[in-house]
Amino acid sequence: MSPKSAVRVFAGVACLALAGSAFAQSVILPTPRLLTTMPMGAQVGATVEVAITGENLEDVSELQFSTPKLTAKPKLGSDGKPEANKFLVTAAADAPTGVHDARFVSRLGVSSARAFTVSQLAEVTRTTPNTSLETALVLKPNSVCNAVMTARAVDFYSFEGAKGQRVVVECATAGIDSKLTPVLIVADAEGRDLVVNRTSGLLDFAPPADGKYFVKVHGLTFKGGPENFYRLALQDVATGAPIPRHARTRSVSSFSWSQAADFGIAKAAEAEPNNEHAKAQKITLPCDISGGFFPAADVDTFEFSAKKGEVWWVEVASERLGLPTDPFVLVQRVEKDGDKEKLTDVAELTDIPPPMKPSSNGYSYDGPPYDAGSADVLGKLEIKEDGLYRLQLRDLFGGTRNDAANIYRLVIRPAAPDFALAAWAIHFELRNGDRNAQSKPIALRPGGTMAFDVVVIRRDGFAGDIELGMENLPTGVTAAALKILAGQSQGKLLITASEKAPRSAGVAQIVGRAQINGATVTRPVQLASMSWPVRDASGEIPKPRLLADVPISVTDAEGAPITIAPRENKVWEVKLGEKLTIPLALTWRGEFSGTTLKLKADGAGFTAAKTPDVALKAATAEFVLDLATLKPTPGEHTIALYSGYVSKYRHNPAAVILAEAAQKKADAEAAAVAAEAKKLAAEVTAAPAEKRAAVETAAKAAEGKLKSAEAAKADAAKRMKAATDAAAPKDIADIVVSEPIRVRVLPADKK
Amino acid sequence: MRTVSFVNDVVPVLTKAGCNAGACHAKAGQGQNGFQLSLLGFEPQEDYEHLVKEGRGRRVFAASPEQSLLLMKASGRVPHGGGMRLDPASEGYRLLRAWLHQGTPFDQATAPKLVSLDVQPPRKTLKTKSEQQLKVTARYADGRTRDVTALALYEANDRAMAEASESGRVKIADIPGNVAVMVRYQGLAAVCNVSVPLGAPVKHLPPSKGFIDQLVFANLKLIGIPPSPVCDDATFIRRVSLDIAGRLPTVKEAETFLASKDPAKRDQLVDTLLNSPDYADFFANKWTALLKNKRDAASDITANFAFHSWVRDSLLANKPYDQLVRQLLAATGTIEGNPPVAWYKRVKQPTEQLEDVAQLFLGVRMQCAQCHHHPFERWSQHDYYSMSAFFSQIGRKPTATAGEDVIFHKRGMAQTENKKTKLPVKPAGLGDPTLDIPPDEDPRLRLADWMGNKSNPFFAKSLVNRYWKHFFKRGLIEPEDDIRDTNPPSNPELLDALAKHFVESGFDLKAVVRVIAQSSTYQLSATPNQHNGVDRQNFSHFYPRRLQAEVLLDSIDQFTGARTDFADLPLGTRAIALPDNSYNRGSAFLKVFGRPEGASVCECERASSASLAQSLHLMNAADVKAKLATSGGRAERLAKADKPEPAKIRELYLAAFAREPQSHEQTVAEEYLARPREDAVGKPLPPEQSRRIAYEDLLWALINTKEFLYNH
Repeated sequence: MSPKSAVRVFAGVACLALAGSAFAQSVILPTPRLLTTMPMGAQVGATVEVAITGENLEDVSELQFSTPKLTAKPKLGSDGKPEANKFLVTAAADAPTGVHDARFVSRLGVSSARAFTVSQLAEVTRTTPNTSLETALVLKPNSVCNAVMTARAVDFYSFEGAKGQRVVVECATAGIDSKLTPVLIVADAEGRDLVVNRTSGLLDFAPPADGKYFVKVHGLTFKGGPENFYRLALQDVATGAPIPRHARTRSVSSFSWSQAADFGIAKAAEAEPNNEHAKAQKITLPCDISGGFFPAADVDTFEFSAKKGEVWWVEVASERLGLPTDPFVLVQRVEKDGDKEKLTDVAELTDIPPPMKPSSNGYSYDGPPYDAGSADVLGKLEIKEDGLYRLQLRDLFGGTRNDAANIYRLVIRPAAPDFALAAWAIHFELRNGDRNAQSKPIALRPGGTMAFDVVVIRRDGFAGDIELGMENLPTGVTAAALKILAGQSQGKLLITASEKAPRSAGVAQIVGRAQINGATVTRPVQLASMSWPVRDASGEIPKPRLLADVPISVTDAEGAPITIAPRENKVWEVKLGEKLTIPLALTWRGEFSGTTLKLKADGAGFTAAKTPDVALKAATAEFVLDLATLKPTPGEHTIALYSGYVSKYRHNPAAVILAEAAQKKADAEAAAVAAEAKKLAAEVTAAPAEKRAAVETAAKAAEGKLKSAEAAKADAAKRMKAATDAAAPKDIADIVVSEPIRVRVLPADKK
Repeated sequence: MRTVSFVNDVVPVLTKAGCNAGACHAKAGQGQNGFQLSLLGFEPQEDYEHLVKEGRGRRVFAASPEQSLLLMKASGRVPHGGGMRLDPASEGYRLLRAWLHQGTPFDQATAPKLVSLDVQPPRKTLKTKSEQQLKVTARYADGRTRDVTALALYEANDRAMAEASESGRVKIADIPGNVAVMVRYQGLAAVCNVSVPLGAPVKHLPPSKGFIDQLVFANLKLIGIPPSPVCDDATFIRRVSLDIAGRLPTVKEAETFLASKDPAKRDQLVDTLLNSPDYADFFANKWTALLKNKRDAASDITANFAFHSWVRDSLLANKPYDQLVRQLLAATGTIEGNPPVAWYKRVKQPTEQLEDVAQLFLGVRMQCAQCHHHPFERWSQHDYYSMSAFFSQIGRKPTATAGEDVIFHKRGMAQTENKKTKLPVKPAGLGDPTLDIPPDEDPRLRLADWMGNKSNPFFAKSLVNRYWKHFFKRGLIEPEDDIRDTNPPSNPELLDALAKHFVESGFDLKAVVRVIAQSSTYQLSATPNQHNGVDRQNFSHFYPRRLQAEVLLDSIDQFTGARTDFADLPLGTRAIALPDNSYNRGSAFLKVFGRPEGASVCECERASSASLAQSLHLMNAADVKAKLATSGGRAERLAKADKPEPAKIRELYLAAFAREPQSHEQTVAEEYLARPREDAVGKPLPPEQSRRIAYEDLLWALINTKEFLYNH
């Protein structure tokens, strides 16, 4: 089926469902998502109370972190019972400073991640509004304040500054998953703006005189609300000392560069002036040079000799260090004729292309919005002639920018073949504009399968096969992956929870293995996800990032609505040119809208396979592979079938039973208390004078009890209604992915 | 008879007769009724083809010249949409007929080339209501000269001051000052500068505080216009606060200033205002409209807020003007990371980029030269595409936001195709030699280098002229973005001195404002004396201006104590701080008072005239009424305040006009406040309510005075 007709089919399903419901359908079954924590960090060695908000927060049992040095336990109320969605989080004395991932575990499993910072600074949390000069919150030096931006307002802070001092004010936002684009202003004692930053959330301020200063914070477009949180740090920094920056989560593009990368080459530094050819910095290859795109329109020119036949790999890391740069490398051969020089272009090296075409972010969905490429440089330099060469490195974004923070690392090395991998959960079909399904934690339902794209950036000419796999999977969970074939840049990974998989929540690893120079090389697959569930992509650009690890869970609360699996768990064999019929077993849990599942196939070489339409609730189907029309390469393949569907989903029906029991109990208790009160009230009149006082006291107490029992009854009724409403069937569009179908394609018989 | 030249005789006749005007046969694309001529005869070769060879040759008929369509139409003997253009008795008609008679020769290769144009007199002092005949001589490459007075075209740059007839006779009206008459012939232009003195005695001059005063007063003396005296303190604080900070002075500011005996207080006030964020807000408002910060889609909000803020923050930090322009012109990266990139979102075509840059930063209008030689400038298509070539290596990569690109320098040789010659043209600054820019260099940086060069003849002049107009209502060159040889400044020495001062200050924008606002010239009274009322361009007195839309709205808010609620922005955000044009849609006030939409680089997009709709709006509109009665506003506060009425009336006058009320004003106001009021059915109103209504009325009355609505 062509992608175009796939869209049409899905639209058909959606329309069918819409006819039955006046309300807009939501997309994707309830998914646990951690949206905010307050505060967003903790000081090393301290314990803080953290309140969380999110989606599908029922029965939150744990708050987990990507480092064991951060631990959380439920906060207990005065009654000794845990308070809902509140935790006491402790950062161990040896907790690593930086950004870690937080997530909760709830009824439906592990949630999406939210950044949580461990810092050396004293932490405060803003508790009262500070939207005027008069209500400004006083900031202590070397502290960080956790706050939520007030919409259509300016948040005010104040501090005491001294002449000669250097004050660094930083507002961490995007790097800790916030939606806020911060504007940072330092103003004088009357609140008049002195200096402003709107692009990097950083102000390096030298107070012109001793006195009071204000810091104003607001959103670039004055947006606010819980998703626009920020951490405002005020630090005294010695003159000339480097500016300590707040730690940031990693961009997707950065997976292909390791901060600690060591190529076994002596490190060197760029030496200005080297802008002009005449002032080229002389180097020898290989080299590992640290430098900066500074000042504006900086060009760094390096000169080296090379011999015919040499092959070098040139890599520049800058954008992948989280900087807003676009490095460009030009290599030219230099021929000298007396005083004159002739320069001949040898190589132009620019962006690292994305291994999978990212979505254009148009209104229609046309692929995953993850750009795993980079504006950095990674390319080959082949020397065709002995001679003198010059390499010029410039920042294509640096023409007018004077920012010494824009640094780079330039490595020129002989081939060191290697690879880097990233993966993200996919949602094959999305309704226009709604991208919330891309914020998808690996919270599995028994009988369910999740699909992932895996992409590779191959380094220094490595072209071999890469085997994908997972380690430390919970009981009952299996992973099947397509091998990334030689020369290919993409693969797929399927994670399946069996129908019998028990409840669990842990951390697994996805890995890729390849043979390089006769040795097995294993590399982690870094998981990426969207920071937020975006329901209107025309109004908000979905922002992805790398996660710190691979949390995975299986719930016991409910099963996947549909399971599609090959009847037998085996490798199916078929010869090229022949047909193979694979019987499928389908399991249906719950009720559905529509009439059929229009299955489609996924897997390299099989996307054009003719796929069956399956009637709703059918227990079996047949998938016929015709290898006369499909021409996959011989060897083992993994195929998945998938389809959109609309479930009449009942949210947590078990809660209705519990609520009903609780309501009955509350009703009964109220009735008993009422009867007792009535009895005591009657006794008051009948009681002899000497006992009347005592009976009266008892009757009053009973009346009080009755009041609270009635309140409890009303509360139970409210809960019952909420649970019943939630459990009423609602149309939710989602996708079902089959369990992996493994096929071995054999060469055709020789005729 | 001598041989008639097509190039030097026929074409000038056609031009003089208006045949090849833009509205007639030189209309872009198709000409008129199938007959096309090049604009103003810039392309004789093409004109010859059209005239002689097209239309089956019926336009020219050598055997019987009188029967040629060319003459029949031109003389109106057959129906002609353009009417009669040539009298059969005229010299022009005779020339055309002779050319036809000679067999319609074409002589571009042999015709002597026109090299210069000379007008006599080039400079003259003339009395009001006098006349002067000009004499125009064409000089050719072969050394010959020719009197082309009859064939040249004439136009005065200020028609209220002078009119020039078709035959080159200049009639001076009764307005004193400097006027230029432009003379055009065959792609060349010359100018006659006429000085028209008033001739009144200039006995008293205000103190001269610097080069501005010296040059303005020297000119006034020369042409005999006595200046008005320097204005009083109240007028000054109101005027300068409105012009620098875009707002009225507060009551406290006015009181303090009026009470101060410090002789340097005016200079200090200028500095205080320049150092306030209000200055940055007000001038950012001016610049962002010119830089087309326009909201077309809801998703533009981030780019527009970022861009507006970048301009505002740059002004707050007093970034040197050459740096500001450099960062804009050569912007790279993303809008969020580098907001001036947003300009490239709005202005996408290289032609539009060069045209906007030339008009806004150089005061040169290049638009004409895209398709033909500029009609009254020296700029050719080659000059146009040479400027365009600076923008030829802009790389774009799409971003996640629809319509927004990442901008970068695309490696390659900067050049662009001349649409006329189809030949590649390399970059060159206007009037400068061609640059060989290596493929690795961003040519836009070289353009910024050229603009910011101290000897650039346009860059500094254009800015100081624009700012001069901001403070004086009229530029030294008008329109302020039309600098050319044929449109000379009214005071050339002053323009040069301002530009020199600006360059030497390191392109310090605050320094321009400072030197202007601290001059006596800026501080002259708006009240004319017995002589200088006729003066419109010599700055002998201050020319009053209506407050612009945003400033007026803010002033009414400040005066009444109301706050206008603007979408997305914090309550209390002032109209001068609005980031883009989107707020005009929701505000009848801003629309009726002419806030621009950011569609053009021309300041003329802002309506500065007064209209009936404006008067009615101020008198009757619901939003203005609501402001008068705003809860917690000035009317309510004064009505309730436990203060004597004279003190309250004094506050009103200080708030509105930055001055004390005069005794008759005080009396009228007190009487009005004391008057008993009745409700609709004639029942007396309780005193508190009556007083509040009375204060609202007073506020309303003060807002509706010229003294409030004008900066004077």
